[in-house]
This record gives sequence, structure tokens and C-alpha cells, in this order.
Amino acid sequence: MSAMKEFTKGFIKENPVFVMALGLCPTLAVTSSVANAIGMGLAATFVLVASNILISMLKSFIPDKVRIPAFIVVIASFVTIVDMMMHAYTPELHKSLGIFIPLIVVNCIILGRAEAFASKNSVFLSLLDGLGMGLGFTLALIVLGAVRELLGAGQLLGHQVLPQTYKPMLVAILAPGAFFTMGLLKGLLNLVTNKKK
Amino acid sequence: MEFISKIFTMSIMAIFVQNFVFSRVLGLCPYIGVSKKLDSATGMGMAVIFVMTLASTFTWLIRTYLLIPMHLEYLQTIAFILTIASLVQFVEMAIQKVAPTLYKSLGVYLPLITTNCAVLGVTLLNVSNKFNFIESIFNAFFSGIGFTMALVLMAGIRERLEKANIPVSMKGMPIALIVAGSMALAFLGFAGFKI
Amino acid sequence: MKEYIRFSLVLFVIAGLASGILAYVNSISSPIIADNQKKAEILARKSVLPEASDFTEKNLDNFKYFVGIDKNKKSVGYTFIAYGPGYSSTVQTMVGVKPDLSIENIQIIYQSETPGLGANCVKPDFQKQFSGMKIPSLAVDKDGGKVVSLTGATISSRAITKSIKAGLLELQKAVKSGKSGGSK
Repeated sequence: MSAMKEFTKGFIKENPVFVMALGLCPTLAVTSSVANAIGMGLAATFVLVASNILISMLKSFIPDKVRIPAFIVVIASFVTIVDMMMHAYTPELHKSLGIFIPLIVVNCIILGRAEAFASKNSVFLSLLDGLGMGLGFTLALIVLGAVRELLGAGQLLGHQVLPQTYKPMLVAILAPGAFFTMGLLKGLLNLVTNKKK
Repeated sequence: MEFISKIFTMSIMAIFVQNFVFSRVLGLCPYIGVSKKLDSATGMGMAVIFVMTLASTFTWLIRTYLLIPMHLEYLQTIAFILTIASLVQFVEMAIQKVAPTLYKSLGVYLPLITTNCAVLGVTLLNVSNKFNFIESIFNAFFSGIGFTMALVLMAGIRERLEKANIPVSMKGMPIALIVAGSMALAFLGFAGFKI
Repeated sequence: MKEYIRFSLVLFVIAGLASGILAYVNSISSPIIADNQKKAEILARKSVLPEASDFTEKNLDNFKYFVGIDKNKKSVGYTFIAYGPGYSSTVQTMVGVKPDLSIENIQIIYQSETPGLGANCVKPDFQKQFSGMKIPSLAVDKDGGKVVSLTGATISSRAITKSIKAGLLELQKAVKSGKSGGSK
């Protein structure tokens, strides 16, 4: 029962992006299309799960005082693996995500989960936590990406969704659109949760 | 003369046209987190300028004289983040000993900088833009200034926002993001510039 | 003191293991990456010069170009990559050129320009207009040329056009020197 909880808490209740406001840089920078959002989300999820597992396995081996550099090395290694694998097998996605793949290293969600969860819990729970948080992160990216791609290009995943007569709101794809969309979505979420109370 | 004009162009590009926050959308965690008060924003900004410049210097040296000769370019991400992390630690200790007053105002922000993606971002961008040693250092310095400017401007606005009458749901982060969006929109005006 | 030795030993072990694993992954992925890039380049070359079935590489003063040969070993044109510093990236264009130095086709092979503006340079409408153009007409409309720029993305359009023109001039020089020098 509690295992299920660890898994699903990342989706809505403790969603890393919308509720905890972590990992904003990749969230805003790569969500100009749904395809990018999915790619980024899955890459981060892989790193999150892998580093959570390894760190919870190593937690008794790593002395407390040097844990942060040790975590960073573990995370950076997994990020490099993802980077190389994406370059080899999905070159197009690798090209469009560019510098944001190595930047997964400094995504606060990953170091945050390592520090707050994986270094204190069992391997199995850490795996679920990583998977849940990663999917919650991916979900948030997809929502943002969908709104921005729909408004900014009239498309979803590259397919025309809105009628051709719709004049795309270009600003939604550019940097300001990222801020606006995120701000409004967060406000909307606040409105809903405030009403519930 | 040519050198000076090149550096000038670079400064305009890094500060305004490709501003880290408004155009590249990097370094947002501290941008939203530490922009509530003007003094803390200035402190964070100064710390970022300092670490960015130092980090670019060291990562360039490490990449050129260690990673490339030994064909270890694939260790770049690890090497860079470790450089930044140890640099931050070192700077923290150094400032604490040499200038205790400075440490009091900067100290709390230093650990936050390790996970500031703008710092790792600037070192990676130096590589992908194929900047040489001097260019890397200047690029980092000006990018830091651009970041500080964004941070200070934002803090000024947010201090006033505190007193404004905003719908409850929009208070805090949502309104900060909307403000950032409006500022990014204004900075988009620089977008045609190419010197 | 003993503590510090243990700390550094632990970090050292972790870092050593990490670099070992990365070296292994790198040894698997780097040939695939190199292979992909090669394949993509060959594909792009064929698409801008469809008549050619094989290409031979040539160099002149740091300018690299390829001569396209058909099945009868007859030269049917040239290809080269043009590098144009655009708004937020260096746009790379594969250019196919007929023997009379008019453009056969172009293909943008790398760009990371603003989505919705400069990134529209990958659209066929923009790329098609280059077919048949020669050196004198290669400039964007704002500069008095025949290339219709992308809406709101003069910088990207200009960068691509200029880089193609510069490449064609180099190619012209290379072809001429090749003919007069008589080298085969």
C-alpha cells in the first residue's frame, strides 16, 4: 500500500514541476513541442530511476560528508550514458534537445530525490519514487508542450490539429510563451486546490 | 582595436540579445527563488558572476589540456560539474577566511550555485560555440552580468508586487512567471540585432 | 586525517568505476554515431544531386567538395556543405551544383534557429527556390537578390544565402584551377 503511494505521489500531489517548482529550466526551455517534451521527460526519468537505485544501494558505503560530490558523479555518469545513447540511436532528438541533455545533471529534481529519498530508503522504494517522480515530470512537460505547440503552431506532435485558418501565436513557442504558459497553468492549479480547501 | 570591438559585440550579445534568463531560459531556479528581495538578488548575482568566470577559466583549461589530449571528451559533463562543485566549495572556504563580511552576504548563495544550470550552461556553451580562452572568460563574465541584471530587475518588480492586489491563486510563483514572461517579451525586441 | 583518506578513497573508487563504465559505453556508441553521421551525409548528398551514383572527395585550400559521378563515370555535378552563422546557430546546408555552376538542389542539414521563424528554413518552399539559381542572383530580396526571405527571419535567410554564395565562389575557383592545372 505504501509502495503504491511512493509511486503515485509524484504524479499530482507532489508533482516536481507544478507543486514543488523544481527543474524549471528544462521544463520551460525544451517544451516548444510535445516531441521534445517526451524525449526530455523520458531521458530525465531514466537518469532519475538509475541514480535513485544506485544511490540507495551505495548509501551505506558513501560517507555522509562527501555524499553530494559522490551523488553528482553518479548522476553525471548516467546523464553521459543517456547523452551518448541518444546521440547514437535518436540523432534527431539529440540535435533538438542539444545542450539540455548534459544539463540534466543540474536538474534539481534528480539531486533532490537522491538527497531527500534515495539516501534514506530501500532500493525498491527508491525505484518507485524515481519512476513516479520521473513520470510526473514527464507529464508536466507534456502538458506544457501540448499547450505551447497547439497555440504556437496549431499542431500536436507535428500533426496539424487546428484548422489551417488558425493563425499561430508564435510567441507561445518562444521564450516568453514558456513563462506565460507555466505561470497560467500554475495559477490554474492553485485555483483548483484552493477551491477544494 | 579589432579585439575591443569583438569583446564589445560579445558583451551586447551575452547581456541583452541572448540573455541567459530571458532568451536561453537557463538558471531559473535561483531566478524565481532568490528574486524576492533586492539585496539577496544582488548578492546572488555577484556570486554567479564570480563563479561563472572562474568556472569557464578552469573548464577551458581542463578540456584543452587534459580531456582533448587524452581523448576523454566523453567525460566532459562529469569533469565540468566536478570542477564547478569543487570550485564553489573552494571559493566558499577562501572567502570565509579572507573576507568574513563578504562571506556573510554571499555565503548562503554559494552552495546553491553548484546546481545552477546557468553556470554549467555557460561552460558547455563555450565549448559548443568553439570559443577560445579569452573569449570563454569574457563570455562567462558578460553572461553573469546579464543574469544579474535579470535578477535585480525582477527583484525590484517583485518588491512592489508584494503590495499589489493580486488574485490569491496567482500570488507568488505564477505572477513571478508572468512578469518574467513580459520581460522576456521586451527582450525579444533585441532579437533582430546582429552586430 | 584517517577520515579524509577514506573520503577520498571512496570518491576515487566511484569516479574510477564511473569513467570505466563510460569508456565502455563510449566504445559502443561512438562508432554508431560516426556511422550515422556518414550515412546522413551520403543521403543528403544524393538528395541534392540525384543523378550521381558515386562521389569523390576533393580539397582545395581548406575547401572540401565532392564531385558526383554517374554510372558511366561521367561527372554530373558537385556538392559541398555551406556553413552560415545564423541567428542562434551555424546553419549547415548541403548544396548540389550542376556542371554549369547553377544550383541543382539544396538541403538544410543542421540548424537550431528560432522555432516558427528561422527554423522554417527547413520547409521545402524555402529550399526549392534555390534550384536553378546562379551566383549573381544569390542574395535575399532585401539586398536586391532573388531569394525570398522567410517571414521575420531575414538573419537566417541571409546567412544561408550568403554561405551558399561563398561556397559557390570557392567551387568556381576550385573547378577552374582543376581544369587549367589538368590534374585528374
